[in-house]
Amino acid sequence: MNPILAEIYSTVIPSAPYVIAAYALIWIILLVYVVIIMRGNQKAQKQMMLLEEQLAELKAGK
Amino acid sequence: MGKSKGASPKLPEVGQWPDKIAPAVAIAGIVLTTLGFLMAFFYVPPVAGAAVDGVELIGGMMVANKLLISQKIFYFHMPVAMVSFVALAFSCYYGVRFLMTREWRYDTCSAIAIEIALVFVVATMATGEMWTRFEWGVWWTWEPRLTTYLVLMLIVIAYFVLRSAVDEPERRGVFCSVIAIIATIDVPICFAITRLIPSSIHPVVLREGGMSGEMGMCVALVAAGMFCIGFALYRARFGQVRLAQRVEAMKESLED
Repeated sequence: MNPILAEIYSTVIPSAPYVIAAYALIWIILLVYVVIIMRGNQKAQKQMMLLEEQLAELKAGK
Repeated sequence: MGKSKGASPKLPEVGQWPDKIAPAVAIAGIVLTTLGFLMAFFYVPPVAGAAVDGVELIGGMMVANKLLISQKIFYFHMPVAMVSFVALAFSCYYGVRFLMTREWRYDTCSAIAIEIALVFVVATMATGEMWTRFEWGVWWTWEPRLTTYLVLMLIVIAYFVLRSAVDEPERRGVFCSVIAIIATIDVPICFAITRLIPSSIHPVVLREGGMSGEMGMCVALVAAGMFCIGFALYRARFGQVRLAQRVEAMKESLED
């Protein structure tokens, strides 16, 4: 490559890992939050089902 | 979580119109941010850096400067920071509503909004750190914008520490609302600090000649997408927290 072009593109390769990391980190952070919400939702739904079963048993026992 | 003082049709609740549009908004957010990503790398030309000793013809344009690819981080860094500010404003709004009414639903909304703010604050910090490390050669510097934004992040973290530390619900709600208001007061300080302190080395778009049409369009697209994602995350979390609150209420009534 001619020296002028090499100088023009000199920051491209060294900055690439930081650019990729920045974009990856945004989506990782958002995905982690989505996973937290989904797990919380699953846990709450399971508890709700158990409570509804308990409630049905209590009603049947009366 | 404390009990509500009574049902009111005006209170935020699961199943209202925001939940009906949330899935479509989430998809719009993904589409817009994807378009913004493609635009940032394939449509918006790279920003020129330091001058080189000569000129070359690249893609039909005469180029006499180094191409700063690291600047591409800006197209997502600024929008996520904007979402964090807006989420904090919502947290403050619901905090004020809680202080005025002592209605627990507003405390819940305030807590979720500040949680969303924390997610986007962390994303802003992460992207900013990547740019700082490459451009300034350091992971951290006590530059005014970075420092005020770090203070903002610490206030938001303090909110959650306080929330888990105070047992009495009424006090917890009041303290947390006040912290949400304090965090929001820091938002204009964060925004204006680079203008108030001229020695600040953090880039300021307007001071540096503003954005070109392509850059502005890209930032607007990503910002719209990120706002959609922030909204969808808020509604998803709200639904989950309300379900957990109903489970707790049901447990209490079964114990009684």
